[in-house]
Amino acid sequence: MTAKSEGKSLLREVWDALSFSEIRTAMRVVLSHMFVKPVTFQYPREKRTIPDAHRGALGLLRYDDGAERCVGCDLCEAACPSRCIKVVSAENPERPLSRYATEFYIDITKCVFCGYCVEACPVNALAMTKMYEYATADKRQLIFDKKRLYEVGEKHIEDAKRYLYAHNQEKNDAESFQYRYKFPHQVAGLTPPQDS
Amino acid sequence: MPQPLEDQRTTVYKVDPEHPANPTLPTLRTEEMMLNMGPQHPSTHGVLKIVLSLEGERIVKATPVMGFLHRGVEKLAEDGTYHQFIPHTDRLDYVCAMYNNFAYCRAVEKLLDLKVPPRAEYLRTIVAEVQRIIGHLFWLGTQALDIGAMTVFFYTFRDREILLDFFDELCGARLTTSWYRIGGVERDFTPDLVEKLRQFCDYFPPKLDEYITFLDTNRIWLSRTKGVAVISAEDAINFGLSGPTLRGSSVDYDLRKFEPYAAYGECQWSVPVGKNGDTYDRYWVRVEEMRQSRNMVKQLLEKIPDGPVMADMPSVTLPPKDKVFNDLASMIQQFKLFSQGFDAPKGEIYCGTEAAKGELGFYIVSDGGGKPYRLKIRAPSFIHMGAFDFMARGYMIADIVTIFGTYDIVMGECDR
Amino acid sequence: MALKPVTSPDVEAPPIRLTVDGQQVEAKQGVSLYDVISQTGKTIPAMCYHYTFDPFGSCGMCLVMVEGKKAPVRSCTAKAEAGMVVRCEGEDLFLARKKAVEKHLTVHPLDCPVCDADGHCELQDMAFQHGVTNLVNAKPKGLPEDRRSLVLDFNMNRCILCGECINICKDVQMVDALQFFKKEGTTHVVAKGDEGLVCEFCGDCLAVCPVGAITNKYSKYVYKPWQLKKTTSTCAYCADGCQMYIETSGKGVQRVTSPLSWKNKWGDRAETAKGHGGLCVRGRFGFQYIDSKERLGAPLVRTEEGFAPRSWFEVMDTVIGRLKALKAQHGPNAIAGLITARCTNEELYLFQKLMRTAIGTNQVDSSARYGHLNFTRALQHAAGVGRVMNGYEEITKANVLLLIGTDITETNPVASLRVKEAIRVYGAQAIVATSRMTNIAKLASHPLRIAAGSERSFIQALVKAAVEEDLVDEAATTAAPEAFAALKAAVGGLSWDVLTARTGTSRAVAVESVRLYAEAPKAVILCAEGVTRQVEGYASVLNLVDLAWVTGKLTRPGCGVSALPEEANEQGAVDMGVAPELLPGQALYGDEEARGKFATAWRCSLPPPDPSATLMEILKRCRDGGIKALYLVGENPLATLPASTGVREALEKVELLVCQDPFLTETGRLAHVVLPATTFAEKDGTFTNLEGKVNRVRPALEPYEEARPDWEIFAALGTGLGYPMEYEAAQDVQREIMKLLPGYYNLGEARPVIATPEGYLRNGFAHTVAVRYAAGSEADGARPFALTIGQVLYHSGKLSTRASGLVQLYPSKGRLQMNPEDLAQLQIGPQDVVRVTSAGASVELRTEANPDLARGTCFFPEHFNEPPIKDLAECVVDPTTGVPAFKFTRVAIEKH
Repeated sequence: MTAKSEGKSLLREVWDALSFSEIRTAMRVVLSHMFVKPVTFQYPREKRTIPDAHRGALGLLRYDDGAERCVGCDLCEAACPSRCIKVVSAENPERPLSRYATEFYIDITKCVFCGYCVEACPVNALAMTKMYEYATADKRQLIFDKKRLYEVGEKHIEDAKRYLYAHNQEKNDAESFQYRYKFPHQVAGLTPPQDS
Repeated sequence: MPQPLEDQRTTVYKVDPEHPANPTLPTLRTEEMMLNMGPQHPSTHGVLKIVLSLEGERIVKATPVMGFLHRGVEKLAEDGTYHQFIPHTDRLDYVCAMYNNFAYCRAVEKLLDLKVPPRAEYLRTIVAEVQRIIGHLFWLGTQALDIGAMTVFFYTFRDREILLDFFDELCGARLTTSWYRIGGVERDFTPDLVEKLRQFCDYFPPKLDEYITFLDTNRIWLSRTKGVAVISAEDAINFGLSGPTLRGSSVDYDLRKFEPYAAYGECQWSVPVGKNGDTYDRYWVRVEEMRQSRNMVKQLLEKIPDGPVMADMPSVTLPPKDKVFNDLASMIQQFKLFSQGFDAPKGEIYCGTEAAKGELGFYIVSDGGGKPYRLKIRAPSFIHMGAFDFMARGYMIADIVTIFGTYDIVMGECDR
Repeated sequence: MALKPVTSPDVEAPPIRLTVDGQQVEAKQGVSLYDVISQTGKTIPAMCYHYTFDPFGSCGMCLVMVEGKKAPVRSCTAKAEAGMVVRCEGEDLFLARKKAVEKHLTVHPLDCPVCDADGHCELQDMAFQHGVTNLVNAKPKGLPEDRRSLVLDFNMNRCILCGECINICKDVQMVDALQFFKKEGTTHVVAKGDEGLVCEFCGDCLAVCPVGAITNKYSKYVYKPWQLKKTTSTCAYCADGCQMYIETSGKGVQRVTSPLSWKNKWGDRAETAKGHGGLCVRGRFGFQYIDSKERLGAPLVRTEEGFAPRSWFEVMDTVIGRLKALKAQHGPNAIAGLITARCTNEELYLFQKLMRTAIGTNQVDSSARYGHLNFTRALQHAAGVGRVMNGYEEITKANVLLLIGTDITETNPVASLRVKEAIRVYGAQAIVATSRMTNIAKLASHPLRIAAGSERSFIQALVKAAVEEDLVDEAATTAAPEAFAALKAAVGGLSWDVLTARTGTSRAVAVESVRLYAEAPKAVILCAEGVTRQVEGYASVLNLVDLAWVTGKLTRPGCGVSALPEEANEQGAVDMGVAPELLPGQALYGDEEARGKFATAWRCSLPPPDPSATLMEILKRCRDGGIKALYLVGENPLATLPASTGVREALEKVELLVCQDPFLTETGRLAHVVLPATTFAEKDGTFTNLEGKVNRVRPALEPYEEARPDWEIFAALGTGLGYPMEYEAAQDVQREIMKLLPGYYNLGEARPVIATPEGYLRNGFAHTVAVRYAAGSEADGARPFALTIGQVLYHSGKLSTRASGLVQLYPSKGRLQMNPEDLAQLQIGPQDVVRVTSAGASVELRTEANPDLARGTCFFPEHFNEPPIKDLAECVVDPTTGVPAFKFTRVAIEKH
């Protein structure tokens, strides 16, 4: 409780106390900051620039021809550390022999935004976007279903592509085309119709 | 008309010594007062409750009650693969997530006997030191705020923001980073990020001097930190303290120096050590550590070697994504690693890492399967709470905020 | 089929010594080296090996180094020889194995995301274990998927040609439906003849397929292993007691798997005598009824507008109130109860306790009354054994198997594998006496075609042949000379002319069969519905006991008389005393002392043995108005019994009909109150299988909507009726059973049985034997065709018709199966409608040809009743046991 800077003369100490030198030193720094541009943003009028790698809300992606990328392999569900993904898969009635996700849920209230699902996805059907403004008063709105996820993906397709690129999931657009998972298309044509 | 307060008191406490029922009672009685502080107190940094026994304003006994933030993280580890536990570690000491990732990955790598490529080691060290600066800035701001110096808080948080934005660009999240991976890191630095760090290294030291100006010349700060919560070197060791809390008590022990891991051996730096073991010395140690960290970052940035950022061990590390699309073996690797994880060798391992708060250790028992059989976290905040009562006794009730601030506790790590 | 000396457990071979990784090992000369190495506890990767069949050697993974050989050898096809020095580990072997995996991977498609085997794939495991990373020159085959078969899809892109499916089909199932087939330069696995699969659809090929080449249509693309919760349970279809894994996800049952899979390929061949762990088509593919949309979700009460859902509280209040009122007005015997033997032991026990204590009537019966009670009562009476005498191991290791009146591959497919193994591995002689050319008859050494419905006469012929040819066992007959004399006299009264005319076989055949049987050291008689569900079933079983006794097979270990019950827990129903003549533990209800014991335990006086009523008697009393309330648990007499029994009248007459069932059955539609019960997949308990093993049933799902397990409903009813039944779980009931019947559960193992025929042979045998060897009446010439209503492989009772998968495999065709020659003679085409007329009724339907049927016989599956063919039959009730026989009738068929 008796801490005092050592080595100061009594006179100096008295002078410091009388002239409020502590306050002067501190105020000098503070006043100099008055002429600096503020570092804060006036959200929501101003928004910060979100980096490409940002892990925001998840979206499902389509190929350029509009086909769903997701084949319903459920690997994202296995990879998820918070168990917030639920995939229900089945055979695609429109394209026999191909698997697709009939239902796809991400419980955003549980999601920890680790990005493992994107890392796991063998067809790059999932990507994270820069979307972060989905606060709602209705908790049920935060369980994203397949429709909502595709909507997010469509709306933020550019962000999603940049995310995949930033996280080494996809190379550039031209190269990424070859990653397309081709198996169901090739074989479906060759299969004889099922005996009934 | 209400009675004056004074009168009410006398009616309550006045005891007639002549009364035959109370022959031995003294006329004035003092007693210890119990006071619950928390779990909703703003200065408890989370949800810590302290049961104080007070004699007047002096602390006779201070019992921390923990567990309000218990989430069963250690149990959760048993349910997922080794890989899946990394995001959970983000949430231990949530102001220094990178260091938790680092400590966990190091432990698993030790269990697997996995060698991390040199470039990854450099990146890991740089980011870990950046994380240390963030942690100490956070501590400095909040500690000053708790004591009453509000300005420092704004400035430290302003600089912390710069680094958090750096993290956001690096891995996509500011706090819950999950950037480290078993065998390396998730993503390499871009030239842009390196440039940002360089700029920060030049920008930071004058700013640090500014904070010091605020505090070192401030007699209130000095009088509230010097000589408060003193712990001798011997006691500190006996209580198992570590990190700046230990080094403030003049014990020269730092795991980074003691058993250099990652790239800590590749740069020049020194371990700041305090003298008196009081709150001021711990503050000083942390400020000096920030300077050292900045120096390390500056040095290491110039020497980052080329090469991969992920070890090449197909049974543990993920294949590159483009191969997953085209190569069956890589796809199988991807599916096996994500659905079942890798089988760690049977055995037990302890690996301590010098985090911002002290020695963060992971103790893993493996039964040879894809999930940890048992995972124990040696969280520095939790160990430090053991010395809380010892350090708080005899001080004033107003000092209690300083005392638990001085450990730099985070309840996420304490309660796990 | 020739026996390969490689893994046959019984083969005699000189013992040898060899060295495996520096360890001295003893083995038999000539057995597979792989098995020798497995014995030491080492597991070498092998993708084409499975212990249930002989090594095949196609995958090239099980490489070991044998000293003196330059290159690694495949240990599975190599034979152990004396003095061999074998090394199983080492960098060179690892690399050689890695190369073998790479070979398989280069032609494998990039399929993991859509493959059903992903996460349960040996190729994945091997690739991962051996650290395969880069594949050069990957060339997937790009073949179309073969979807021609029912249930199973064959994706030859994924096939690694290990041949496990072909081998298990050929060696274990002896169906041999699959083969390798070379098409356009690639080898495929196809159904025989490169067509759609025609087989028993047991799905064992699916279970052992180490990759995703064979997939299940009913579960295709709907799961990944990590999404599923696996519950071990016991199959509820037949009494084989197969263990199964019910794999569920949030949506319900996704698939059913068996303990048999490529994952448990390491085992001792001798173990298969107890079962190979597989399932049949019903167990594996008939799970859809569990979460079917047709399930009852809430209790229903009949109102004027039809059924209306009500709350449990309200419905139980109604039922209890009505029962109380009826009991008060007309006495306890105005109430009767019937329960199905698909309930667990605990529920069966609780049901009879409820009826006998809370209600106080002995009018209680189960579906074991439809046949199995003929067998248990007869065996209990004659040998003091209340169940099947032989377990699976004894059947497998028997030298001679006499199968009478059973189509075992259809009714009990997994038990039939034991017969098949006995024939194939242990070289047993099988005598199969049947009118149809059944699958087991095709494999048997002595398939005997006897006339339809002549099982009883054939048994008489066998006994007569045994006595006449002096194939009797001296020790057995001299111990009971009076009985033997009486038997001799009784069979003497039968004439061979009548017997040969009835059975359609000669005396020589009977003599040869009985000679084989009598001279075998270990001989087992297996009978089933053709004996126990026929007219005079009780007497026929006693005649079989006579046959076993005179040939000395009744008390000898490894021999005996066994019958195959139909429903999952018929044996349990008998053991739990759900029959008016029995108490739990098969104590006789008439036994004052036993009744006293249970009365004390239940703290209640039990109703006197008279009046008590069996199934048919209950229905009769319903008709007469003596019974006012009928409580049916899972029973559906309206769809089971022919109309001539007056079952509809009986059910319509009662004042209160309570049906408790997972589904709204035909009987349920007549009910006043319908209570939703759960299926076996939602309840806890035990089933007693045909061996007498008590198997655990575990809940895999939460009860469907408002449905409750039967035992809960019984307990609630009992408590409501003023008899507190405070059970919190099925285990509480189990504990009570354990206390009353010590040793019943016996840790899930069948208790050994010892036949004690002495008392039976000494007392009364002589008086009754003559009746049993009476010739019986002559067949009616006006109706020349023998119509059998029986079970088919794909179904079990009416329950399986709710499983869409099984209905898809075997839909209700509404066609009468007839011999093609008969069809040709009557000039009936596939589109022609025929009129089938029996003594009491007549039905019009189309026909289909079935060459397996004998001439003059026709067959209709019992599971379907469209058109109402069961009503053709007349019902004959067994005088001793009250068992109704209505599965066999004589009809006239004319083209319409």
